[in-house]
Amino acid sequence: MINQPETRDLLAEARQVLLESVAPELAGEHKYQALMIANAMGMAIRELEQREQGQPEQTDRAVRAYLSEQSVDETAAEAEANLARAIRERRLDGTDPALRSVLRTLTESRLLINNPGYLKR
Amino acid sequence: MAALADTFSTFVARQTGARAARVIEFDKLSGGAIQDNFGLTLELEGGSRPGRQEFVVRQDAPSGVAESLSRPEEFRVLQAAFRAGVTAPEPLWLCEDPEVSGQVFYVMTRAAGSASPRKLVKADFSEEQRRNIVRRLGAELARLHTVRPPQASLEFLVMPDPNNPALSRVALYRRYLKEIGEPHPVLEWALNWLEDHAPEPGPTVLCHCDFRTGNYMMDGDELTAVLDWEFTAWSDPCEDLGWLCSRSWRFGVDDREVGGIGDRQDLLDGYREASGVDLDPATVSYWEVMALVRWAMIALQQARRHMSGEQRSLELALTGRMVAQMELDLLNQVQELEDGQ
Repeated sequence: MINQPETRDLLAEARQVLLESVAPELAGEHKYQALMIANAMGMAIRELEQREQGQPEQTDRAVRAYLSEQSVDETAAEAEANLARAIRERRLDGTDPALRSVLRTLTESRLLINNPGYLKR
Repeated sequence: MAALADTFSTFVARQTGARAARVIEFDKLSGGAIQDNFGLTLELEGGSRPGRQEFVVRQDAPSGVAESLSRPEEFRVLQAAFRAGVTAPEPLWLCEDPEVSGQVFYVMTRAAGSASPRKLVKADFSEEQRRNIVRRLGAELARLHTVRPPQASLEFLVMPDPNNPALSRVALYRRYLKEIGEPHPVLEWALNWLEDHAPEPGPTVLCHCDFRTGNYMMDGDELTAVLDWEFTAWSDPCEDLGWLCSRSWRFGVDDREVGGIGDRQDLLDGYREASGVDLDPATVSYWEVMALVRWAMIALQQARRHMSGEQRSLELALTGRMVAQMELDLLNQVQELEDGQ
């Protein structure tokens, strides 16, 4: 199905109107609400971008690759749930740089959506 | 609102023995989803507090949650802190009869100034003013921490179990994470680290447990009141210092480690001058890691309140998306601590 303009474009334009035309006219609680809405829309836009680029799958593959190197059985469908359980059950070495690196990859992938500015601080 | 103002005004008149009380100002103050805070300015005729008086009335919001202290408990904690010399609002009268206003409430003195964190971290203080503010924060905590168990009026506060506040916290947060049911490998990893690196417990003292920029009032460069006592608990003194230093409460001013205002050494110096106790900076750093985990747990719980439909709210939903920030800070901070050793 062709449905143009695409969702990401619609959201980006709506967010721009909100920030450039609507928010400056508001004050107090309403201004705060408008900025929260713009923040939520920004996350949705970035999430769509990340999906288009195959970022979530890439992060998932990195987690799976690490777990299979560590011979951790994948019982849950989600790699992240398997990783969390293996850490909780102390089956992984918390000081291992490979573990730290996979934890960082996961966290950075979420921040690329939630708050990319935080990665630059 | 006018009826509520009259209710409180009559209550205060009776408590002070005033012949008459006139409401000059009554408004709802910002902050607190769990409590309603009202500013109440009265002109009192006669009695124990004649003249123009400014009060704050604090009562449960209709949708109160059970996680923090109740109003009567908070009132008793505030009394203990005030008696210990902490610059806190003076707790005046507690009304446990819900027939009076519809909720249990208490009245305290109103402090001057503002608690706005953004305003405070952007203020144009000199280096000397910053040092003084941060030392004062240390001194306030030192005074609070002179309150030790057992205290008959605070018997509702549970003692940390098994007498190690850090390990008690780790066990509690593991339980929270299990209840939330969402996989968080970084938080699991951080909890293991906290369990493995738990310091020797210090004395068990009365801790504020939410002592941070945004929860104390400043009038210019003068601290006028430490607020928000609903999370007070028996714990390790360093829990309060670690929470205050946490990166989450620097409001973007990351190089000023103490609440976005000043330096850690000044905080420790202020604490030592007021108490004679030299706290170990490494233990404070440990509790700073704990603070990041705790804030992540609170954020996860807030997001759950939205997702479960218990309280649909954009603000709560967005708070859930902040957890990755705490997780990145955890990865960085643990690495820094290890590199420093």
